[in-house]
Amino acid sequence: MNLKAIPFKRSAKLLALLLTSMLIATVSAITYLQLTMSSTVAVYKSNVYFVIGSDNGTKNLEVELDSTKTTATLTGLRAYPNASFTYSDPVKVRNNATTGSAPQIRLAPDVNPSANPEDFEYVKFLLNGTSARWLNFTSNSTAWSNTGTTNWITIPNSTQWSIAVVTKATAGAAVSASVTITIKVDVD
Amino acid sequence: MASGLLPEFFALLGIDLFLMLSLLTCLLDDRVPKAIPYIYQIAALVGYGHILVSKDFFTVFGEYMRFWYCFIYLLVSLANIVAVNIYFAAVKKQWTLAKVWSGAVSFPTILISIFFVSNYSYLQGVPFPLLLQIALVVAAIIMGTSVAIFLSPGALRNKFKEE
Repeated sequence: MNLKAIPFKRSAKLLALLLTSMLIATVSAITYLQLTMSSTVAVYKSNVYFVIGSDNGTKNLEVELDSTKTTATLTGLRAYPNASFTYSDPVKVRNNATTGSAPQIRLAPDVNPSANPEDFEYVKFLLNGTSARWLNFTSNSTAWSNTGTTNWITIPNSTQWSIAVVTKATAGAAVSASVTITIKVDVD
Repeated sequence: MASGLLPEFFALLGIDLFLMLSLLTCLLDDRVPKAIPYIYQIAALVGYGHILVSKDFFTVFGEYMRFWYCFIYLLVSLANIVAVNIYFAAVKKQWTLAKVWSGAVSFPTILISIFFVSNYSYLQGVPFPLLLQIALVVAAIIMGTSVAIFLSPGALRNKFKEE
């Protein structure tokens, strides 16, 4: 198409349309930009939360959940010298959603323990899902170390999995020695 | 974290497509009815209305509803591009122009729209199947190469002279 051959009337029409087009496109883009700036963030009730497990009230264990069920506190966990001791169902993590894509979860250390490394061999946490996810805190008698954040695992909707705890104290552990461990359950 | 697209992006894309249609049909006004460029301008204004409604009722309308009315608007604009293509080919019997329109307008706009829709669906956690993604990339490469080969300026000039 030879643009020079376009008659004046047609050029004027094209120019008018071009100007209105630019106006509409610019105003639309500005409005869209304002829309992106005014995006709101609302707080929703989480579909993933903790549920008290069947071990609560047994083996000296007490489990407490906060009002939103997003923090679980386990007290009274026992560790025996030179013997592995397992709490198979102290607390569960539940995905209460019924529709939509299933979230992924993982275990992650939050605060690494520092107390009494000479009295413990390990404290292990097992996310007992479709495949196991272990987060282990082990002691070499002088310091604690951990295996780090686990891999993600997809928890299906309307499903709950237990987080098992396995403990072991050293053969010569002092009675009443204790350690505090904080872990997180990340949700994506 | 990458910032996600808002559903209104599809309305914005639709507006730009209608404006492009308006200008192109104005350039080709000896082949299309005179009112068509103005109708497309009005259609673009309707799209702007979509965005304004979304802005004023942002929290009232859920993202699901906003996505669908913006996406349908984009589909309407794409349907118009294809309709003009069919009009040139079937009604006006201008095969060369229809081919040029197909290679330079219809296919690229459809491909760009698919790209943004797939990007949006990926960010929403519903990615396109891998096979479909590969098919789209292959289609884009084949079509792009074909357009470059068969719609070279020299070949088109000769074709237009023939018609």
